This record gives sequence, structure tokens and C-alpha cells, in this order.
Amino acid sequence: MISGSSLRPTLRGLLCVLAVIALACGAVQAETPAVAWDLKQLMESMRRVKTARAAFVERRYLGIVSGPLESSGTLRYDAPDRLEKHTVLPAPEDLVLAGDELTITNEAKHQRRTLALQAYPTVWAFVESIRSTLAGDLPTLHRFYNVELDGDAARWRLVLKPRDASMQAAVSEIRIVGSGNRIATIEIIEPEGDRSVMTITAEGR
Amino acid sequence: MSWSSRGLIGGWIAFVLACIVIISRAEFSTDLSAFLPRSPTPAQQLLVDQLREGVVSRQILIGIEGGTTDALAEMSRRMAGKLRRDASFVAVNNGENVGLERDRDYLWHNRYLLSPAVDSEHFTAAALRRALEGDLQLLSSSAGILARKILPQDPSGELLRLLDQLEGQAKPAMRHGVWFSKDDKRALLVVQTRSAGYDIDAQQSALARIRAIFADVAAGAGAARLLVSGPAVFSVSTRETIKRDILRFAIIATTLVSALLLVLYRSARILGLALLPVASGALAGLAAVSLGFGSVHGITLGFGVTLIGEGVDYAIYLFTQLTPGTAAGNTLDRIWPALRLGVLTSVCGFSAMLLSGFPGLAQLGLFSIAGLIVAAAVTRWVLPALLRSGFSARAVTALAPKAAFLARRAPALRPALLLAIALATLFLLLRRGPSWDDDLARLSPIPVREQALDAQLRRDLGAPDVRYLVVISASEQEAALQASEDVGASLRRLAGAGLLEGFESPATYLPSHRTQRARQAALPSADRLRENLEQAQSGLPFRPGLFQPFLDDVSHAKGQALLGRVDLQGTNLATKVDALLVRRPAGWSAMLPLRGVADAAAIAGQMGAVPGAQAVLLDLKRDAGRLYQSYRREVLKYSLSGAAAIVVLLFASLRAGRRVFDVVAPLVAAVIVTSCALLLTGHGLSIFNLVGLLLVVAVGSNYSLFFDRRVDSGTDRERTIVSLMFANLSTVIGFGVLSFSNVPVLSAIGSTVGTGAVLSLVFSAILARPDDLAARSDGS
Repeated sequence: MISGSSLRPTLRGLLCVLAVIALACGAVQAETPAVAWDLKQLMESMRRVKTARAAFVERRYLGIVSGPLESSGTLRYDAPDRLEKHTVLPAPEDLVLAGDELTITNEAKHQRRTLALQAYPTVWAFVESIRSTLAGDLPTLHRFYNVELDGDAARWRLVLKPRDASMQAAVSEIRIVGSGNRIATIEIIEPEGDRSVMTITAEGR
Repeated sequence: MSWSSRGLIGGWIAFVLACIVIISRAEFSTDLSAFLPRSPTPAQQLLVDQLREGVVSRQILIGIEGGTTDALAEMSRRMAGKLRRDASFVAVNNGENVGLERDRDYLWHNRYLLSPAVDSEHFTAAALRRALEGDLQLLSSSAGILARKILPQDPSGELLRLLDQLEGQAKPAMRHGVWFSKDDKRALLVVQTRSAGYDIDAQQSALARIRAIFADVAAGAGAARLLVSGPAVFSVSTRETIKRDILRFAIIATTLVSALLLVLYRSARILGLALLPVASGALAGLAAVSLGFGSVHGITLGFGVTLIGEGVDYAIYLFTQLTPGTAAGNTLDRIWPALRLGVLTSVCGFSAMLLSGFPGLAQLGLFSIAGLIVAAAVTRWVLPALLRSGFSARAVTALAPKAAFLARRAPALRPALLLAIALATLFLLLRRGPSWDDDLARLSPIPVREQALDAQLRRDLGAPDVRYLVVISASEQEAALQASEDVGASLRRLAGAGLLEGFESPATYLPSHRTQRARQAALPSADRLRENLEQAQSGLPFRPGLFQPFLDDVSHAKGQALLGRVDLQGTNLATKVDALLVRRPAGWSAMLPLRGVADAAAIAGQMGAVPGAQAVLLDLKRDAGRLYQSYRREVLKYSLSGAAAIVVLLFASLRAGRRVFDVVAPLVAAVIVTSCALLLTGHGLSIFNLVGLLLVVAVGSNYSLFFDRRVDSGTDRERTIVSLMFANLSTVIGFGVLSFSNVPVLSAIGSTVGTGAVLSLVFSAILARPDDLAARSDGS
């Protein structure tokens, strides 16, 4: 049995993915690591990124299916608020976050949906946290997540834990691993044990 | 006082009392549809009925403007929250995702009865295999998280299919999670009242609640303004307008006419006597309408004001013509033929209204006919009975010589008048006849400003501009739904061929029992489905036993009770179904609004070909325009017949072509110049202007008749001119006051007749033949 309330986490999950994509894209450009390196500097270096492209491979480990489900495609970020995820395999799909609207296009199925993020308060909060991250706005990021950073500039790991209870129902933890301002992987762990790992490589490599 | 007088007075009092009894039991309505044409097709009737009591009639559109989008969105949310807690409203929608859970629940629980994909091929091993392979792709897409949760119950994706169907529909623009106009100026809400549209008291209190809630929400938000529209607003404001107008205009007209009578006679007693025919006429008119139509429309009451101006004419003729030493009865014998003819011509004019296709106009016609006949009868028989023999009304005669002088000099203006008529005729000819205002909206009793606001809000809401509508008639709800499905199948084929983009149907949310049974029958047995699924699943990575909930749900759906309207209760889908599937006095109607129509003619042709379905394609824009034109033609026909009847009547009474010409010429001139003036002052002529022009002939003929009447002496002529002037003035007051009304039908008739009445008198004076007058005076 399912009800509407259990359908809504969908979008939250979706936006979690996007949030991480944002972080990932923002970090693709290389930069000389600072000496005394901390969270604040990580944010600052991300903020300097105005546009970025990357290729991704995502593996989902789901309880209902044995073995991972793999998808791949490209990512694109344009400051200050545009994110795109173009999946190529196994089936083409485009996600575009522009301003406060998320558009999902499936050319094969002739589907195009535009969602107003404000209609989903949790997602709205989530998107604000994406933007504040991209803007290097650490206080706002802290408002939505407990943020932990370990490692150093050469090899760091950011762990985001949602503070909001309804967010916690959708995502228990987001782990982002990277070096410099380049993100290598984003791992999203859900409360029931499902998880997905996205590996990001600069396009052309 | 003679016995016959006593008898007359007694009879009159009894009549007046009877009228009062009838009126006291009468129902008064402000039903907006009365001034819409009587609908010739069931489909049009359906729309009018929807306006009266359907879901549409309960809908109130709300706009909030004057602020930043942030502030407006916040107000929209707070207002919607309060409205949702208010018992006056059954549905409140501002774009927030409130109440959608129920819609989804309905779709989810009943997906196997609702999904158009369910047929005997849908759950074969091969079909399930394709579905499961698709699911694997879906799981790795953005929809994967949704798909993962519902997959064990719905591997064939019926819910997504049903949600997709809902997605395709037009929606307003969104800002900050609530509905906004495209230009971001207004936050938008749509509410549905608990009470029906015709319950105007309840609608009024619902509107008051909306205003109070807005005032509360907008407190401190300075420039924020509330806009409300919709049938409820129209009903309430029309009732208010009519109430206000009637009272104000009745007071103004009565005061002015009374003042006129006082100036003329300087006698309160005569004032009272002169108002008796009017009052009796008004009561008789209302009683006649109440008996004839079952209820009296508010606008009819408003129109009653004109009777004050006209009805008092008869008394003015009588009192002004009274001479000392002559019994009132004798005076009446003298003027009665002209007076009677005047009444008859007026009746001819109003008969055209009585016969017109507008129930509202017919009421006005009946009211005036009954009112004028009774006013004339009271003047003829009751007033003389009330007057002492030898009673003389000393009209102020100081004006008389001046008026007579003016009247004598008037013919000097003849060349100017002829020139004016020639120019006006030329003007009309150059415009290829009068340009008609074929905007159906002008017929509505709703002021143009309110109509414009309504149109604006509807555009903002992206409420589909429903132009094409397939209307299906059936005896039963089930038959209507079945026909909707058959027509829907045909429309889908046409959509495939590119003739239209899509359509909505009540059967989408509430399939017929026939279809639901067919879908149940197409669901395989539990064992069969298990086998098919096992076969389909082999080699795919799904966890064993994952789809047990799916097997359970299909098995349940196979035996579940069929869906009816009651199952939709509390969902937004119920609102949709109620709007598209309507119970009518003679059965049921289903409406299928079409989107993106490319070839209406081809679709219309196909609709007739759907077997067993009584379906017609309506083109609301074209049909409404045609409807209007056909009504205009009808009104024109009745108006011309009315005018012809008046001419015949004049021939019968005057028995001389030349005299008829003398009477008719000023009227024709007045009609030409009035039409010209109406066209020059702005818009085209509406049906109501047309009716007004006929009334110019009907009412104006009284003046030219009196000008034509043989006169005994110079003083008689002076008296005639003075009585005509005052009678005319009172008529102009009656109609002129109406021209200030906010109710379009009243202001159109008021301004037309007011202008035309003055012109007929002036033209009558100008076109009168002085030499003739002298000759007739000598001859008599």
C-alpha cells in the first residue's frame, strides 16, 4: 500500500541527487590547494567556479534488485543557479534545474514535466542549501545539514546529514569525496539501506 | 357621487387589492440567465443551466495584486489556509499541493479499474516481461526512487500512466509554489462554495467571508488589493445593483415627476390623483408578470420606473385639457380617441418585447402592457368618478403662450431637420446600415467592467479557453459515460491523425460500469498471473517474491466493487467529474472539452458517426455569435412587425394616408437620428437598443397623435402643447433616469427611449403643418 505522502520523498531523493551534482560540478575545475585548508576554503574555492562540465557514472544498489543498476551521462553547471543532468544510458533523460523550477524531459516518451520547487517545502529547503553551498554560504548550509569535513585538500570527505526530520526519512547521509575543488564520488545513503554512488570524471578524460 | 361611480371605484379598489395579494405572494428573482436568450439547442441550455446551478456557478475566482511576488504568495497561502478551514467552502485551490493525496489515493487504489491500458493482453508473460524490462530502466532514472517504492505493487506502471493523464492539462503559472498570473502581478485562487449558485444569500455571505479573510491576511500589506469574480459575484452584485438602482431611480423619478406635476398644477390633490393611474398600473403590471412568469425579475422592477413617466402622461392629458365648467367625463370623451390610440400603439411596441426570445424582455413587455392598459383605464373611468363635477385643474398657463409660440415657430426649423435627417441617413448608408454590436456579452446584465475582470482572471488561471466542446446527451449516467468512452475512442483516433491535441472526459476519472467490468474480466486469475509473472521474471535481477503485493492487488481488483461517483468524494477529481458530467431534467449530459483543434469540421463529422452516442461538437465562439445574430434577426423581425402594427393601427384610426404620414414622419426621423446618435457616441447597436428604438415609435406616436388631433381653438392647442411638453418631460424622466443604471439592459433601453422621446416631440412640432392646423380649426 502506498499513499501520497510516501510518494513525495521521490522528489526529495531526486533533489538530493541534484544537490550533490551541483557540488560535484562545482568542483571539477582544478585549483592549487591552499596550505591551511578547511571547510570555509573549500566553499570559497567552489564559489569561484562559474561553469563546469563533467561525465558521470552512477551505480544504484537497491534491495529489490540483485546487483547494481548503472546509468551514465553528462553534468553541467552554470553559476549561479542552473544545473543539468543529461543521462544517456540506459535511457536518455534530461534534468534541468533553473531558478526555482525543475524540468524533467524524456524525449523518448514525449514527456516533459516542470515542477515548482516551492510546492515542496523540503525540496525548497534542499535547493536553498545547494545554492548556499555554491555561493559559499556556509551558515545557510549549516541550517539544513550537519556538515563534517575530514581529510585534507588533496583528499577530503564531506559528510552531510540532514537536520530536518522529513529529509532524514529520505536521505540519511550524503558523502562527497574529492580532491582540491574536484569531486570524485558522491554517495547517497538512504535509511532503508539503498544507496547510490556517482563517480564523476572531467569530460574528455 | 353616482352609483355607477361608486361601482367603478369599488371595482378599482378590489382590483388593486387583488394585485397586492398576488404581488405579496410573488417570488422575486435576480436570475442572470433571464436576459440570456432562450436557448435553442440542448447544449446551449446546458451551459445556461451550468451557469445557474452547476459547479461553475459555485466557483469564485480570486486574485490578489499589489505587492512583491513573495508577499503575494505568502498572502495566497495564508488566505487559502483560512479558507480551507471555513465551512462555507468545499474546495480551495491556490496551486499548493493540498488535497492531492486524496486524488492519488483514488487513482492508486483503483488503478486496475481506471487504467486504459488494462486489457486481456496486458498481463501476458510477454507483456509483463516488457514491463519489467522497462522498470529496470526506470529504476536507474530520476523517477527510480518513486518507482522503487511502488514497483512491488505496480510493476506494470498503472499509477504513472494515470498520473501522466492528469499531467497533460492546462495549469496556471506557478511562483513560489502558488498560482500566479503570467505577468507575476496577481496571485490566484479558485474556491468552490458549499451552497448552490442560485442561493444568493449564501453566496453573499461566502463573499463576505472571503473579503474578511483577505482583510485579515492583508492587514499591514498596504497596497494589496483583492479581486473577486465568478457567477456568485455577478449574482450578488447584480442583486445589489438592481436593489440600489430600483430604489434610487424610483425615488428620483417619482420626485421629479411629482415636482413636475406640482409646478404644472400647484395642487397636492391633483398630484395624488395623477399618481393613481401610475400606481394602479405598476401594481397590475407586477401582478401580471407574477401570474404569467411565476416570478418577477429584479430588472422588471427597475423597468417599472419607466411606467412612472409614461403612465402619468394620461393623467396629464386629462388634467391639462380640463376646462372650467366641463365635466371630466366630457373632456375625456374628447381626448379619449387619441389617448386610446396612443395606448394601443404603445401596446404594439411592447408586444414585440413580449414575443422576443428573452424571458427577461418578455417580462418587461408584459409588465408595460398590463401597466399602461390599467393606467389608461384608471384615467378614463376611475379618475372622472373621483372628480366632483365642475372640478377644474388650473394648469399653470403662463407657459402655454410661450410654448405655443415655440411650436408655431418650430416649422421654421424644417430645412435644418430635413438636412439633419439626410445627413443621418447618409451616415447610416455609408456604414451599410447600422453596425450591430454582436458581442453576446452585451446581452448580459453584468456590467462590462466586471466581465473584463472575469475574463482577465480566467486568462490568468489558464482556464482553458474552451471553444470546442463535444456534448453528449443520454438518459442515464451510465449511458452518458459509455458514450463518452466511445466518443473518446473516436477522438483519440482523430488526435492520432493530428486533428486535435487532446481532450478531457468524465470517463477518464469515472469509467462506465461496462468498461470497469471489461477491465475486471481482462485481469487474469491469481494462478494464471503468478505463472505469467514467473515466466516474465526469469533471468531478470528482481528479488524473488518481490511482486507478491502485485499479485494480491490484482486479485483484489478482480473482485472489488465497481466505482461510482461516491468513491470520488473529497477529491479534486470529483470537481472535474461534476463539471463534465451533469444531471439534467431530461437525463444526463457529458461534456468533453477539446484542446488544440486543427480541423473542427472533420471532428464534427466524426461525432455523428459514433454509433449509439448522441454527440455534437459545439463551437462556442461561432455558435454564440450565430445565436446572437439569430436573436437579433428575431428581435428585428418582431420590432418591424410591431412598427407595422402601429402603422396599420394608425391607418385604421385616422383613415387618411396623409395623416398617418404626419404622425409617422417625425417618429421615423426620431429613430434615424437616435440611431445615428447612438452610433456616434461609441458602440454599435445592441438588441436592447433595437428594442428601445421600437419603443421610441410606440411611445413617440402618442405625441405626434396629439399634434395631429383636431383642435377646437387656439387655447385648446396651447393646452395640448403644454400637456404634450409635460407628458414628454415625464416620459423622458422615466426612461432618462434608467439610462444611468448600471444594468446594461436598463441603461440601453433608457438612453435610447429617452433620446428618442425628446426628438419625437420636437420633430412632431417641427413637422406639424401650421396651415393645416388653421384649416382644421376653422373647419370644426
